[in-house]
Amino acid sequence: MIRSNYIIFAHDMSKSEEKRQQDIRSSLILPNDVQEVPRLAEFVDAACEAAGFDMSTTMQMNLAIEEAVVNVMDYAYPPGTKGDVCIEAVAGDNGLVITITDNGTPFDPTTRGEVDTTLPAEQRSIGGLGIMLMRRYMDSTEYKREGDRNILTLTKKRTN
Amino acid sequence: MKTTFKKENNQLIMAFFGRLDTAAAVQTEKDMQVLYDCDGCDIVLDCDQLEYISSSGLRLFLGLLKVAKPKGSRVCISGLSNDLRQVFNMTGFTNLFEIV
Repeated sequence: MIRSNYIIFAHDMSKSEEKRQQDIRSSLILPNDVQEVPRLAEFVDAACEAAGFDMSTTMQMNLAIEEAVVNVMDYAYPPGTKGDVCIEAVAGDNGLVITITDNGTPFDPTTRGEVDTTLPAEQRSIGGLGIMLMRRYMDSTEYKREGDRNILTLTKKRTN
Repeated sequence: MKTTFKKENNQLIMAFFGRLDTAAAVQTEKDMQVLYDCDGCDIVLDCDQLEYISSSGLRLFLGLLKVAKPKGSRVCISGLSNDLRQVFNMTGFTNLFEIV
């Protein structure tokens, strides 16, 4: 009886190992409206689960990706004009790769200066925190401009 | 995202529940107006039930501190989870607020 249970368990393990070897791809297109952020969170949660991330890493990914996407929603298109932001996720053995694309104004968030987090409250500025969090929580952030598109690629490796 | 507010022993206490993301920050800023109107009494931001905060939420906390501190109010943050404490550390917010 015990032996038979063991065999079933081992079989399940090998099936899940096989599944792991295939990348899981998903994508989401959102309008430039920050009220859509909860839909982004659902999408990121699913991608993180596919990548095998724990809860802490999933929270960090939500934070980093929200900051990058909200930045596009707030600043890529002139005020009052509609535009989209496309988010693609590839979850695989090595972790998660997120690609964020828009057709807005050229903007490279990967070259923004760090915030001085040692300043007292009176001198702290309200801006810049989001991009800093994005850069800190991701293993790599890469930007390129292709034609009229901004393409930002965020990578997080799986450590467990 | 939900907040509750009470005044107790001359302290203003606001508790945060759920996800304080950019979408929720709009309403939360309105909820926090009652704290901005403080007149020197201490403020407690109870984050025991806060699951998530993005920079939009952090901005609200910093904005409150900038208004309340010159009036002589102390602003305390209580109940942060380990994950959120890390966010506060990373942004230097643990140096700005009293973390209890």
